[in-house]
This record gives sequence, C-alpha cells and structure tokens, in this order.
Amino acid sequence: MKGKLEPSVRQALVEEGKNLKEGLVSLEEDLVQLTDQLQQEAQCLPNITHPDVPIGGEDSSIIRKMVRSPREFNFNIKDHLELGKDLELFDFDAAAEVSGSKFYYLKNEAVLLEMGLINWAIAEVSKRGYIPLITPEIVRSSVVEKCGFQPRGQNTQVYSIENNDQCLIGTAEIPVGGIHMDSILPESALPLKYVAYSHCFRTEAGAAGTATRGLYRVHQFSKVEMFIFCRPEESNLYHEELIAIEEDLFSSLGLHFKTLDMATGDLGAPAYRKFDVEAWMPGLGRYGEISSASNCTDYQSRRLGIRYRPSSDTPATSKKGKGSNLAPTQFVHTLNATACAVPRMIICLLENFQQEDGAVVIPEPLRPYMGGLNVISPKAKTSQ
Amino acid sequence: MISCGCFGGTTFHGLALAPSICRSTSMFSPLRTLTLTLAATNPHHRLLRRVLFPTVVRAFSSTALPTVPITKQEGKAAAKPQWKTAIDFKWIRDNKDVVAANIKNRNSNANLDLVLELYEKFLNLQKEVEWLRAERNVVANKMKGKLEPSVRQALVEEGKNLKEGLVSLEEDLVQLTDQLQQEAQCLPNITHPDVPIGGEDSSIIRKMVRSPREFNFNIKDHLELGKDLELFDFDAAAEVSGSKFYYLKNEAVLLEMGLINWAIAEVSKRGYIPLITPEIVRSSVVEKCGFQPRGQNTQVYSIENNDQCLIGTAEIPVGGIHMDSILPESALPLKYVAYSHCFRTEAGAAGTATRGLYRVHQFSKVEMFIFCRPEESNLYHEELIAIEEDLFSSLGLHFKTLDMATGDLGAPAYRKFDVEAWMPGLGRYGEISSASNCTDYQSRRLGIRYRPSSDTPATSKKGKGSNLAPTQFVHTLNATACAVPRMIICLLENFQQEDGAVVIPEPLRPYMGGLNVISPKAKTSQ
Repeated sequence: MKGKLEPSVRQALVEEGKNLKEGLVSLEEDLVQLTDQLQQEAQCLPNITHPDVPIGGEDSSIIRKMVRSPREFNFNIKDHLELGKDLELFDFDAAAEVSGSKFYYLKNEAVLLEMGLINWAIAEVSKRGYIPLITPEIVRSSVVEKCGFQPRGQNTQVYSIENNDQCLIGTAEIPVGGIHMDSILPESALPLKYVAYSHCFRTEAGAAGTATRGLYRVHQFSKVEMFIFCRPEESNLYHEELIAIEEDLFSSLGLHFKTLDMATGDLGAPAYRKFDVEAWMPGLGRYGEISSASNCTDYQSRRLGIRYRPSSDTPATSKKGKGSNLAPTQFVHTLNATACAVPRMIICLLENFQQEDGAVVIPEPLRPYMGGLNVISPKAKTSQ
Repeated sequence: MISCGCFGGTTFHGLALAPSICRSTSMFSPLRTLTLTLAATNPHHRLLRRVLFPTVVRAFSSTALPTVPITKQEGKAAAKPQWKTAIDFKWIRDNKDVVAANIKNRNSNANLDLVLELYEKFLNLQKEVEWLRAERNVVANKMKGKLEPSVRQALVEEGKNLKEGLVSLEEDLVQLTDQLQQEAQCLPNITHPDVPIGGEDSSIIRKMVRSPREFNFNIKDHLELGKDLELFDFDAAAEVSGSKFYYLKNEAVLLEMGLINWAIAEVSKRGYIPLITPEIVRSSVVEKCGFQPRGQNTQVYSIENNDQCLIGTAEIPVGGIHMDSILPESALPLKYVAYSHCFRTEAGAAGTATRGLYRVHQFSKVEMFIFCRPEESNLYHEELIAIEEDLFSSLGLHFKTLDMATGDLGAPAYRKFDVEAWMPGLGRYGEISSASNCTDYQSRRLGIRYRPSSDTPATSKKGKGSNLAPTQFVHTLNATACAVPRMIICLLENFQQEDGAVVIPEPLRPYMGGLNVISPKAKTSQ
C-alpha cells in the first residue's frame, strides 16, 4: 500500500489488511496461551539422568563407598534425646509451647557445638577455594520455583510469608543459585565455587512417624552448603570433587558412613545425578542421611537464566551484548552439596561419641572451634 | 584463605556455670530514635500495654484480678480471645493520676477514662451476677422441701426467669471483660522516676566513651568499603529477595561469625546460659512480649495460613521459654545469652537512615535476657548496661549511653538505655544496642511467676500448700550484646586505613582465625 494506487484498489487492500490483522490478533492470543500451556507442562519434565545411575526405587541405590564400621559399645547406649536431656543440651518442650512441635532450643554446650560445626565447615571448605557467603533467608517465590521447588504445591516444604510473594528458604542452594540469576558470566570466572551458611526452614508437611523424633526432622536448622557454577563439560568432575570433600569432612570427625549413588526413583526433578551420605546413628539404630550432593546440570540455570560466554579469540570479552566476534552464550551447570547440616551432625556426634559415664567426647578437628572444649560432661544437679 | 585458629582460651565448662554478674541488652527497635516524627503512627505507642508499680506486685491468686481472655487488636472487630493476662485494675483506679500522667508523657493512645469506666461497669455487673446467682440458689433451696403444687409452680417460674436473666447477664459480663482487657492492654508500663520526660531530644547522656577518631585522609562509608573489599552484595539480593536484603561475602562472613562467637563467649563467661532459639513462634507469644503482629506498619512478618510469625528479636523466644511457669526463687536470677537471626519488615521506615546495613530485613543478633525478683531489676539493668559498655569499649569504639526519655520508651519498658556508636562514614551516631527493664509487663502476659522461699526448704514447683508463700510475677530485662550489621558498620568505618584496608580489633581476632586486617584484593576478571 506504499505506492500510488487507484482508490478502489487501495480500498480492497485496506479491507484485506484489516481482515489479516484481526486474524493475526486472534492467533497471537492463541499462541500466547499455547506457549504458557506448553511451558507449564514442559517445566514438569525432570532433568535427564546420568547413564550410571541405577534404575529403580530407594532399594536400588548403590553403595559407592563405606567408611569405617559401627562402633561397638560395651554399655547400654542412649539416643540423642536422652543424652540431650541428661546433659541439658536441648529443650523441645518449651519450644513446643512457644513455637510448635519440631522446634527446639539448643542450650549450653550444644550452642558451642552448633557454632563449632558451622565455623569448622566454613573454614575447611573455604580452605579448598570456595568463597564464603552468608545469604538472605527470605526470597521471592519465583526464585524458589526456578530452583525446582514448589512453594504452592500440596504438601509443600516451603513456608510462605503472608501478604507478599516471598518465602523462607529450605536450603541456601536457593539464594546462592539466585545470586547470578539473569547474568552472563565470563568463562574465565568459572568454576565459581561458594560455601554458604544459612538457617533453613521446612514445613515437613507429609512427614510422619518415628523418623521425626528429636533433632532428626525439624522445622528450622543451620546448614553450610557448597555450590558450584561451572562449564557443562566439567560438572561430572566437580560432582566427584564435592562428594570427595564431604567424605573427607565426615571421615575426619571419626564418623562411620556410606555414600550412595541414588536410584532414579529417588532423585529430585533437578538432579542429573545425586550422591547421598548416610551416617550410622547408633541411638536410632540405623543410618540417617546427613548430606546430599546433586549435579543439576542446566536444569536450574535454564530457569534462573545463568549463562556464560565461552572465551573467543578476542581476549577482552564483554559481559553482555552480541558482537560478530563473540561466541554464543551457553547455560552453565550448577551443583550443590551439604557440607554440614547441624542437627543431624549433632545426633551423630552425641550418639557415636558417648561414654559410659554419660559424657560425650568432642572430635579433635572441632575442638579449636569450640574454645578448646574436649568433652561435654554431665553437670552437677541444680535445684531447677 | 582462612587459617584454623583457636577460639578464645577458656574452656566452656567454666563459663556457663560460673556464678557472676550478668547483664543483657536488646535491640528493641532501632526504628524509634530515627522516626519520632511518626510517633502518632509509631506501632510501639499502640502496643499492648499495662501499668503496674513494680514493688507492689499482687499475688496472682487475688480474687480482685479478673483473668480473662483479651481480644486481638484495637480498631478491628474483636477476634476470639486467645490468651489471658492479669491486670491490677484496682491499683490503676487508686493511682489514676499517676497513670494518666504516664500515658501523656509517653504519647500513648491508651484511653484511661474508658478503662476506668469499663472497670466500674464490670464491678457492678459482677455484683449483679453474683446477686442473681444467690437468688437462684435461694429458690433452688426452697424447692427442696415438700410444697403445694401452686407454690412449687410459682417457684419454678421464678427460677426459670432468674436463669434466663443470669445467662443474659453472664454473656454481657464476658463481653465487658473482653472489652476491658482490650482497652487495659493498651496501657503502657509505668516509668522509673529518674527517666527524663519528653521526646527524643530529652534523653540524657549517661556516659561517653572516647571521642571521634580523627582521619587525615578521605574516609569511605561502609557501603563503599564493602564494595571495594568485596564484602557485600546488595544488588543480587535485591533481585533474589528485595530491597534491604544482602549477601555477606569473604571476610565479612568471618566478621559476622567472629562477632557472634566473641559475644557469646564474653557474655557466657559472665554467667549467662547460652541459647540458640527458634525463629518461628506462635503469634500469641509475640503479642505477650508487647509486639503487635497485626498492627498497621507492623515490624512482624507473619507466616501464611497459620498463626506463626518470624521473630524480630530473640527476646521473644527467650521470654517464652518460661511462659506459664512458676520458678523456684532459688533459680533466680536466670540469665541467658541467646543467638538468633532476626526478621523485621521495617514498614514505615524511609529515608537516608536506611542505606546499606543500617536498616535491613534480616540480621544476626546476640541478646541477653534476665528473669529476676522485682526488687533486683534496677540492679540488673545497671549491670546489663555495664556489660554492653565493656564489650563495645573493648573493641575500641567511640559511643554514648543514653537514658531514653518517656516519649521514646517502648510500651513494655519501665526504663531503657540505648547505646549509640559513632559511625564516621554516616557522619553521625547510630544505635547499636538497647537495654530495657520491662519489670512485670511481659511476665504478667507470659504468665511467669516465682515462688518466694518459705521456711520449708523443699519448695515444690507447682501446686498450693498451706505453708507455701503466694507466687509473684518475675521481672524481665533484655539487652543487645551484639547486633551484627551495625557492628560491621562501626568496625569498617572506624578502623579503615588510608590504603583501603580495615584493621580488626584485637578481641575479635581469635574468633576470626587470627585475621588481623581485611585487605584490598587483587582485581579479578569479574
């Protein structure tokens, strides 16, 4: 219609244009709806799976490593709740009044134990080249979703804040993953390794039964988490590095544990592969999970929008923008692994290192982080 | 990167069990000193309050005290009452001039006239109800003997009328009691006679330590220092969480952990029992401590779909640890040092006083808390502020301690000392701690009593016996040992060097793996 035209020809074209436009608007609306629907369904697709991962349910997980064996006791042992009571370390009853069930106060040496574990874990991991972080514990719910969690799902693990779109984090994985959201990292920045300390909050909706006694399953706890952003071809390598660090840490404390390659039925949606460490808890009479190391490949980075620009011939690559010399960006891979989940570590330490006289010996590596404390001893009875 | 160092030289065992002087401080509200112009809408002036003279504590078993449920908030339709508190109405009535003057001095919205009016109505209604009950008993007794059918019938009628009237009056009584509680709860605590009367400018300086450091180079504020030393990230946190959130990185992590470890060690050395507390609590507990979870411009985050909140200070879960309990007198004073994260909405706070770490939604704090006998609370208040001054002085800070004026006290506080430290980057003093004596304001709401020792040595925890002294409400005090972000501001801004480094004060070094100084890093490619 840009040239010079006869009025009748122009009129016909105008009509045709109008019809096309209406049809277009309608189709574009359909397209938007369809795209939304497609996204919604596609986002439910789990990550693909590493070829070596065993197929099946919980019982199909494979033991990769076993460190030490259960300690033999020549006296009647107590579980962590009884030890905690005798040594005046916890108060679950007062917490039930003030907050509800599955909350607790730590008292006396248990405070030193928590601080000691956190300080030790941060020191040990940052020694290995991880950048220490302390993170927000309230985040936008969209960030929670992008990491692969469901704030609004039935039986959700996520606490939401009233009257806004924020949630409490269940793990530092979320704010750490989010720290580089919607960014393009230069390749030279990778691998980017963080060790993050935060409190974690979980509703534990749907969890019931004996596996919830005491410190084993609680609504609030402290955790030191490792997180890596790396190039895709390196994520398997760093997965091995992460599990090796964990095995180092737990072994240095003298714990008996096994590392499992989790079967397909037990992976979270984001995980390409997942290694769990289960430590022996003599008071409970079984193994309990104390950590988890996941390779999420690009599941989280695609949602969080985290890319890197591979180095090209030009040394000075810019952070954003396109240029004819710049290589196209790629999604990073992300991995996360528990360095120390405090309550379960407390269970392990109390139950494994209890003495016949009711005392608990502190493993050597923790002592410098606990003011030199060697042993938690029973106290003289007070009048209260 | 970080070397393993020893943390302090003392073993724990001697710490918590050593009987020694304990003090506590609390960060009740950093908001208050900066937003007094908002006093009319300041949530703390509309907090639930009550008035009670600390040394005349009525025994809980006194029949003059109506113990009734309270309704949730003024200005809203009365929700079903959820908890009871004991208020000394008789004392209020007998001392109403003192109470009225106190309300005025504190700029409180409490309506004393209404309280007294409702109380009179309550007493009258109560008498009527009792009279009706007595009449009903008389009729019931009359009906026990042998009677003429017509006489019996008349009595049955009379009994029925009395019963209906009684039911109606009893309903009125419940409603009146709720209303009375709701109004009375707005009454603020009474005030220590030495507290200056007036607004923010009337606060008195009790102590000044050191003077502002002189710099011979251009100084940076904590935000610039944090940026140059790669210690914080506010921008990423704004994306992930929202404004007033932050990540701590690198040595700032050591700084936070070091401050917490040092504060816990120093205070527990002085005989305080260390605690780590829940950070999610029932909203009723928040209210009992004197905060308003549902008020307009509330500082409190609530959890969706349940009656829980996030704590703004460990004062709340620590106060709650002994709720609805009777402590033996021998247990007092009971002193705790508690570490928790704190969450505050900071609704209603705006302006330059919110830059960087000064006003944030989430922070770590070490809090001191004391439960004691009423006659000792003034003494422990002095000891708490002395511990704070010791701690801050040992770090080399310049600060002043203020006796806060009546217009600046929170509803629960009988007296409040604030410490304001010099922040050269901000160019002014900023509140780093607060120490409040709440007398029995909180304990009456939380139901925390003690049983004075009688002649019988073996006093039982609960129950009544003819030999046991009546229980009394304890006094509670709280004080901030260390509020981490503001301490970080102080340390960075005061101890910065010309080359951009920051020197770590000596007492903190053992708790930071021996780190002496935070140095500028070599520039990395990112």
